[in-house]
Amino acid sequence: MKRDRRFKSGLVSSLNPLGFNLERWSYTVHRATGVILVGYLMAHIFETFQLGGGSTAWANTMAALHSLGPLELVGLWIVAGSALYHGGNGIRLILNEAFGKFMGKPILPVYPYSPTSLGKNQRIAVWSVTALVLALWVWAGLYLLAGLGVI
Amino acid sequence: MDKITLKITRSGGKQASYEVKYRKGMTVLDALTDVRERQDSSLGYRHSCRMGICGSCGMTIEGRPMLACQTQVSSLNRETIKIEPLHNMQVIRDLVVDIIPFFDLHRSVRPYLMRKNVDERDHSDREYRVLTDEVAKFLQFDYCIMCGLCYAACPTVALDPLYTGPQAVTQAYRYMADPRDEGWGERIDLLDTSHGVWRCHMAGACSFVCPKDVDPAKAVQLARMEVLKKRVLRKRGRAGSRLVTPPITSAPKEGVKPPPFDFGGVKK
Repeated sequence: MKRDRRFKSGLVSSLNPLGFNLERWSYTVHRATGVILVGYLMAHIFETFQLGGGSTAWANTMAALHSLGPLELVGLWIVAGSALYHGGNGIRLILNEAFGKFMGKPILPVYPYSPTSLGKNQRIAVWSVTALVLALWVWAGLYLLAGLGVI
Repeated sequence: MDKITLKITRSGGKQASYEVKYRKGMTVLDALTDVRERQDSSLGYRHSCRMGICGSCGMTIEGRPMLACQTQVSSLNRETIKIEPLHNMQVIRDLVVDIIPFFDLHRSVRPYLMRKNVDERDHSDREYRVLTDEVAKFLQFDYCIMCGLCYAACPTVALDPLYTGPQAVTQAYRYMADPRDEGWGERIDLLDTSHGVWRCHMAGACSFVCPKDVDPAKAVQLARMEVLKKRVLRKRGRAGSRLVTPPITSAPKEGVKPPPFDFGGVKK
């Protein structure tokens, strides 16, 4: 494979939102949560695949999972947060991309410039998704703790 | 603030520091010129108009792509300024990057008026009709100065060097929205590829750094809608606007009424 000789391109550069806009931060979180969900999906497929080995194999898999202790709960909570953010932000992006919501119409640029696609409506959409996800994530955490009988 | 320090990433990734005497109203380009004239004549950077028109002096200032001529040192609010070449482009020397791949992408979307009748376009003695409302649909995207800042800021370009890029997609849409153009379907075929308009993830960094408020993120989204119109709604391209009679080239004589304007059969 040909080496990419471009200055500061690649995965690290693409995920670095420092100094950029709110939507660029949202992009980074969206990508990270997507990777977590793919990882979870793989682990979930592996876990259910153990059913083919009979009840003993399944019991062993469950025992291995439960031996993680609180880490299992934390892992599930992170997966729940990832699913919530990826889904919520994904809906915002679909509204952006397929229906042109929050993007504004072409305008005549007047100084000082302020792109309408990153304007007030877009910011409200991003913050609404973030607030909703955080609220649901807290609820998911409480739900997990209640399920384990901790609270 | 009496002095500022420029930390410049030079060829081969080496960092060089230069102290420059600060003066009121100084831009980053002024500071670089000061370094080249008084301290190190080997420092390489591009510039031309010094007023944000030519788009030559794009560079990464404090981690963000900016035009050096339009960036006031005082606006950065720091005494040490970190300057790098534009990201996602190959460095030729110091802050000078190879913009040919970027220009090639621009060229690839055929950024000019396409007409079925080429002879009429190239050898016409008349003008095409464009209404003010129609101009408003593409004028914003016409202000692009091809500085490459959007391309350098784009996280998708960082991962996919074959991606058409925000600037080229914007220019494709600018001509697709132009009523004089007849290349709508052809440009959609150019954009609707695995490295085309669908690669964008709407990070909005392109619009954030654009020095002319061209808003490439919006243009990319509008271009996607055009692609969907063709692929999902099966819409066909429209005929380009018609030619109208030439404007009056000589001053009208006093007392002589000018002939009625011919709109080429189109109702006013």
